[in-house]
Amino acid sequence: MLHLIKYNLLVKVKNFATTFWPLIFPLLLGTMFYFAFGNIDDADFETVQVGIVKEEEPDTLFLMFLDQMENNGNHLIAAQELSGTAALAKLENEEISGIYYVGKAPSLTVAANGIPQSILQSVLTSYETGKSTIRQIVRTHPSGLWKGIQKMLNQQEPIIQVSLGGHTINGTVQFFYALIAMTCLYGCFIGFGSAITLQANITALAARRCVTPTHKLKLILSEQIASFLLGYFDVIVLLVYLRYILKLDFQGKIGPMLLISFFGSLIGVSIGIFVGSLGKMKEGVKIGIILGISMICSFLSGLMNNTMKDIVEKNAPFINRINPAALISDAFYCINVYDDLGRYYRNLITLAVMSVVLVAASFLLIRRESYDSI
Amino acid sequence: MSTNIVQIENLVKRYGSLVALDHLNLNISEGEVFGLLGPNGSGKTTAINCMLSLLKYDKGVIRIFGEEMRPDNYQVKQQIGIVLQNVAVFDELTVYENIDYFCGLYVSDKRKRKELVEEAITFTDLNDYRKMRPKKLSGGLLRRLNIACGIAHKPRLIIMDEPTVAVDPQSRNKILEGIQKLNEQGSTIIYTSHYMEEVEQICTRIAIMDHGHVITSGTKEELKKMIKTGETITIEAVPLSPENLADIRTLPHVFDLHYEEQVLTVRCTGARHNLIRLLNYLQSQDIPFGQVSSELPTLNDVFLEITGKQLRD
Repeated sequence: MLHLIKYNLLVKVKNFATTFWPLIFPLLLGTMFYFAFGNIDDADFETVQVGIVKEEEPDTLFLMFLDQMENNGNHLIAAQELSGTAALAKLENEEISGIYYVGKAPSLTVAANGIPQSILQSVLTSYETGKSTIRQIVRTHPSGLWKGIQKMLNQQEPIIQVSLGGHTINGTVQFFYALIAMTCLYGCFIGFGSAITLQANITALAARRCVTPTHKLKLILSEQIASFLLGYFDVIVLLVYLRYILKLDFQGKIGPMLLISFFGSLIGVSIGIFVGSLGKMKEGVKIGIILGISMICSFLSGLMNNTMKDIVEKNAPFINRINPAALISDAFYCINVYDDLGRYYRNLITLAVMSVVLVAASFLLIRRESYDSI
Repeated sequence: MSTNIVQIENLVKRYGSLVALDHLNLNISEGEVFGLLGPNGSGKTTAINCMLSLLKYDKGVIRIFGEEMRPDNYQVKQQIGIVLQNVAVFDELTVYENIDYFCGLYVSDKRKRKELVEEAITFTDLNDYRKMRPKKLSGGLLRRLNIACGIAHKPRLIIMDEPTVAVDPQSRNKILEGIQKLNEQGSTIIYTSHYMEEVEQICTRIAIMDHGHVITSGTKEELKKMIKTGETITIEAVPLSPENLADIRTLPHVFDLHYEEQVLTVRCTGARHNLIRLLNYLQSQDIPFGQVSSELPTLNDVFLEITGKQLRD
């Protein structure tokens, strides 16, 4: 058996078509995803430029507030003190997004609508709300005034995003999980090649193998194992690339991720062997079928649209229970987002059962050792 | 007394309405180089594929080594080597790796396998090419690799289906010599071909097939004795009138003649002095002539007389 596995593996590794595309295509796609939206959550807005025009009796508290906003490390706004004319000229030239007129009651002048203008309005509103609060404190609890001012100046984000499992909350990783699932399913091309070389009515090479005293099941299993090893290797390379080179937000343990990839590769290869073993269809038709299966499954698991899996879950949840790509990406979610080990193992068991069924069916299809015509 | 190691009785194989094998009967004894000769489409390869249980058949019995041949008769398969018409090797593996792989399907002992692979490489004279991949080999070397993969495990019965198709004469001779050597080493060979010269050269017994059944069989001498033709005389560049042709037709032992574009072909029964008599006639009539040749009957003549068509039709 080892002899067969060794040579089957060697044949596949030396075959450009079975080595290159299942390995390189996912890496290229992963790189593309990375540049397209890998860092979308880190994207920062440009600091909003604002002019300050002091009027008579300026509200010094507002000036302090702006100073604090400018220097708190968020770089939300950058304020510059200007004369009224200079400020208007700069606003006209779009060098600044707005002008704070700081008098007894601060006001904002903008020349357009947009995010920078909204931010400036928010800052002003926030100040006015805070000022009103402080007045309230002075009236009711004057002793807590300083504490209130400090609180107001050290404003924090009102909402902090957290993962239920304490892991990643990056929504774009869904694309990468679907990509890993697709790579697992790409093992079907390797498995398909194996099935073709086992049918005497298709190739002379298969005919030569079929007339030997080696049992057909042994031939199939050796091909399955070799195909799986190669497919699994491809997935591991992708996983390592995404996690350690692109440094994507995969915070789960590597062990469970390798386990998902293991069963994912197994199902991919099994699908290929099964389709390759089907009846008298032409090779091109069979290739079309496995290409269709891998792409449709990947699409439904969210490869092209990260909401697709949810849409399927709402409308036809059964598909998510049997779609290998959805099961694989869901298993990744279970360890990286939900921390739901029960669901994780349920996905793995489903993949394993499906693989066993497909391999058994392939054996039943191929074991027939005499053909009507060759 | 020799034992029949292959027995085929009333084998019928149909592809729809086409009868590929029509009650084929064959008996092949141990130690023979048995030739299956026939034109393309006569059923040779179909017969081989049925023998190997690759093809289902409609009727008949095939016994090899006394046992009925079935797809799962691994004991019988263990003793058979196969060299298919199409080269069946892995393009991705080297010469050595290919032979080792196929030998490994029969022999699991690693040390023994290594010896056998080395022997097969030496036997097929592929030592200088052992690290080369098939795509870099010439047609002849590729055929030799195809043979090495089929014989490395030293089978008792070797089935070779047109192993010299598209091979240069030098490589063909090497292959034929190799087959004779394998036979001397104890293997029984079944050799199919539509090249009558090859079959004549190496086969100890021959069956001529046409339309899916054996039309005659025997040693080459026996086959040639079955037909009328004893000698075929060809004379080129000879101008003959209808009267001359009528005269030649009446010469003793002449039973058939053909005259076209000044080339005269005369077929005589197996008697002596046919050529001298013919040349004497031409001299007596003062008829000039060019190149003269005389040939003993070939298997093609046998086929021609029995079926009325050429083997290579």
